[in-house]
Amino acid sequence: MLKDRRLRYLGRSLLVVVAAVGLLVSQASAQGERLVRLTFYYPVGVAGPLARVVDGMVQEFNAEHPFIEVVPVYSGDYDPTMMKVQTAVRGGNPPDIAVVEISEFPTLLAMGAIIPLDDYIAQHPGYIDAFFPAFLDNSQFEGQVWGIPFQRSTPVLYWNKAAFAEVGLDPESPPTTWTELADYAQRLTTRTGTDVTRWGVTISGGWNDWLFEGFVRQSGGQLIDFHGQEVKFNSPEAVEALEFWVELMQGLKVGPPHSTWASTPPDFVAGRTAMLYHSTGIMTFLKSSADFPFGAAFMPANVTYGAAVGGGNFFIFKDIPQENQDAAWTFIHWITSPEKASYWSAASGYVAVRADAYELAEMQELVTEHPEYLVARDQLAFGHGKMMAPVYQRVREILKSALDDAQAGLVSPRVALDRAQEEMERTLRSWIQTR
Amino acid sequence: MRSRPATFSAALHRLGLNRLLLHMILLIVSTITAAPYFWALSTSLKLRRDVFTPVPQWIPPNPTLQNYVDLFYMAPFGLFLVNTILVVSGILVIQLITAPLAAYVFARLRFAGSGFLFGLFLVQMMMPIHAVVVPNYLTINAMGLLDTRLAMMLPFWASGYAVFLLRQAFRQVPRDFEDAALIDGCSGLRFLWHVLLPLAKPTVIAFSLISVVTHWNDFLWPLIVTDSPAVRTLTIGLAMFVQQESGADWPVLMAGTIFVTLPLLLLFLVYQRKFIESFMYAGLKG
Amino acid sequence: MRTVNQRISPYLYLIPSLILLVAFTYYPILSSVYISLHEWNLFTPEPKFVGFENYTILFGDPLFWRVARNTLVYVAVTIPITMAMALIMAILLNERLGWLRNAYRVAAFYPTMIPMAAAAMLWVWLLNPGIGLINHYLASFGVPRIEWLYNMDWALPAIMMTAIWKNFGYFMLIYLAGLQNLPGELYEAASLEGAGFLHKVRLITLPLLAPTTVFVVVVGIITSFNVFDLVHLMTQGGPGNRTNVLVYYIYQHAFRFADYGMGSALTVVFVVMILAVILVLMRLLERRTHYEV
Repeated sequence: MLKDRRLRYLGRSLLVVVAAVGLLVSQASAQGERLVRLTFYYPVGVAGPLARVVDGMVQEFNAEHPFIEVVPVYSGDYDPTMMKVQTAVRGGNPPDIAVVEISEFPTLLAMGAIIPLDDYIAQHPGYIDAFFPAFLDNSQFEGQVWGIPFQRSTPVLYWNKAAFAEVGLDPESPPTTWTELADYAQRLTTRTGTDVTRWGVTISGGWNDWLFEGFVRQSGGQLIDFHGQEVKFNSPEAVEALEFWVELMQGLKVGPPHSTWASTPPDFVAGRTAMLYHSTGIMTFLKSSADFPFGAAFMPANVTYGAAVGGGNFFIFKDIPQENQDAAWTFIHWITSPEKASYWSAASGYVAVRADAYELAEMQELVTEHPEYLVARDQLAFGHGKMMAPVYQRVREILKSALDDAQAGLVSPRVALDRAQEEMERTLRSWIQTR
Repeated sequence: MRSRPATFSAALHRLGLNRLLLHMILLIVSTITAAPYFWALSTSLKLRRDVFTPVPQWIPPNPTLQNYVDLFYMAPFGLFLVNTILVVSGILVIQLITAPLAAYVFARLRFAGSGFLFGLFLVQMMMPIHAVVVPNYLTINAMGLLDTRLAMMLPFWASGYAVFLLRQAFRQVPRDFEDAALIDGCSGLRFLWHVLLPLAKPTVIAFSLISVVTHWNDFLWPLIVTDSPAVRTLTIGLAMFVQQESGADWPVLMAGTIFVTLPLLLLFLVYQRKFIESFMYAGLKG
Repeated sequence: MRTVNQRISPYLYLIPSLILLVAFTYYPILSSVYISLHEWNLFTPEPKFVGFENYTILFGDPLFWRVARNTLVYVAVTIPITMAMALIMAILLNERLGWLRNAYRVAAFYPTMIPMAAAAMLWVWLLNPGIGLINHYLASFGVPRIEWLYNMDWALPAIMMTAIWKNFGYFMLIYLAGLQNLPGELYEAASLEGAGFLHKVRLITLPLLAPTTVFVVVVGIITSFNVFDLVHLMTQGGPGNRTNVLVYYIYQHAFRFADYGMGSALTVVFVVMILAVILVLMRLLERRTHYEV
């Protein structure tokens, strides 16, 4: 019923397009060109500001390309988008293009849902080299590139400058090492009796698996070696990272053992926590809410700085006509140009995916005014691909559960990670065995 | 115990507190149950900065409607409202066709297998959609109906509960009515439509209100079978709104919550008696 | 003397309902059983028969038992509290209270009108550890701060509180209806014999309300077994799966992990569990009451 109406609507807009470019079309169709319509799943829940920006760019693209019409479909957050992709691919009705959470790449591969992009990339010398290398980690498999970075972020450390000044710390110097972090957090935690009125540091829950990966990187370790098909949840580096967390939360009691992803940014604004680990994506929210000065910094280092990048990549799907794949590439190439990447970054708050975008005037202006935006980019020097494996949603639940248990002090970090390792090996046994 | 006076009020009276204490207890309970909503209302009228005060402020210091404006800018809540109304009424209309037919059969006609068939309807009352979302999702998928309003309605079109309620009501209509109607040449469907249904009006209204409230509030099923804003309903819209990457924006979130709940609550306040009677009535029938 | 038409028409009238009933209630149960015997996930796009393997994996997973326990705790705690509150409120409201009675009734009943999803939002905000209303007022009574949804031990109770607030008004109304149908003469007779208020509640009100109680228990069990919205919106099953319940677990497996085989096995377990609990309860309660359908 609805599909019909949508088709009719599309039909009508098609007529308009045809009429508008009438001459062009008739000339071109003599050369054999015709309109290619592309379905584009985009992960945003509501037709909010982000969707408007995407809409604007898509319209601009469509206007510039009379023979391609990209139709964006707002498919919800990352999880619902992946669910929609899975359903569509299984139903034999894949989209043409989708932006999917980067850790889902192996799942898409295993489903045989996507195509490698090397032939397309080869048409544009220098194109792929412009991307930050850390952002390409989640695109490559067996020497081929399968995904193009689009909306990308990394976690950073936010600190409340007023609170720093209040306890006699230099408001302009965030902690740079784990030791400093623990030290500052102790000084920043305030209590009345046993009741904590302000936490020193909050490591946000909900996506604590993502933040944890950063801490493991800071210790020089890695959680999943995708290319070696190896799971290292209980490596010494991982245990060390988790032990540090437990020390902060249970030993020193300077951070809440658990929290939720959505509620910690307001906690920071309300002064409930002096430091906060969260995504670069909340910068705009903090700016418009906090009535105290705050800063964003690299996540403090252990043996090194380190972070796991996050966000979504473009993928082109298999089992669609060749001309659709070609058109899809035209779109992806267009929207990841330096100009568009910088526009997108400025409008959305995501990190621009390629270095040359930062050389453009628009970006220069933005970062001069708000140098915080550069923190995420500069941290990329220490950034790594996000861990990934098939059935990633399951993997994430296993790790989160282990972290939560250890953070609560119910089991030792080693035991929690040993158990998670075991469960991972069971869940992924077929994948690990193919090594 | 035995020495206690006859009524609770009298008991309180003897304690010298009479009904005042009773009122006080009820007042405290009412205040506690009503507080969450008023707090949400108050939050939805605040500036973002005014939310983060250490002492809660019930009266917004700088009242604003901006959050509601933002709400509509950020998500098509008007569209969600339209979808909700379409789905809810789409469910009710068909239920009011299928249920009286079945109820009439079970209340008035004798036929082989009636006990077994009625049992099928009764068990459905206990087996809500949540229990079988997975296979139903696969069915809807196989029918090619994913992401349509129809998908949100279809499983609810046959309601064991409605059949059960209406059967009770029809049974209370004396047999004589039917005989009289038969003589007038009014039988079967016409008798159902012209005599039974009008007589069962309180039940029909009671069930309709319950159906509307239930499906207005549906969540899991619409969440699973839809994925584009064009067809989604209010509750799902609210949920998508929460799970943004950027963290909870309380004033706007509360504006969303108020907007999602307000239509039914206003109806409820205006037709309070009808609602309360209906829920009491339908409950008792069980 | 019945014509063919008369003999066929009952089935004719039932056809629309029956088709829908079979398609969306009975066929799903059977097909769940069938699918649950297959491996059917992202990597096995066509169902492959594996016997009881899904069940073996399921029952061998400690997480499943935790989820089952969470669900049972949720059911076993929320229902008695909700019922007790509903009953007490109903008895109090059944006294003569004048026009205020209506206001009290509305205040207790309005949560029934709002979606679970909205209730979840309201309470996440109220329960905020730092700036939430609840901690603020608790603090004024000297209660130390509770981290509610952030805390492994408090997250499930916090969800239960929300559910009780949302549901007790409806049950209160059912009890009120039951109370208003009780014969006044019995009370008068009891009063003449000098029975006290609580005595009468115990000897007359409660036994006579038994059928209402059966109804409330059954409805309560069905709604609380099906809790999903609150979990999905308040905690997503966390922290550490302390609030993960069966329907949410089904949702995770079938839709997030796209594992239909396991999702179906869980569905079967869930349906059996609901039916078993309801059957047992009906038996227990039927022994004491004359419950008429």
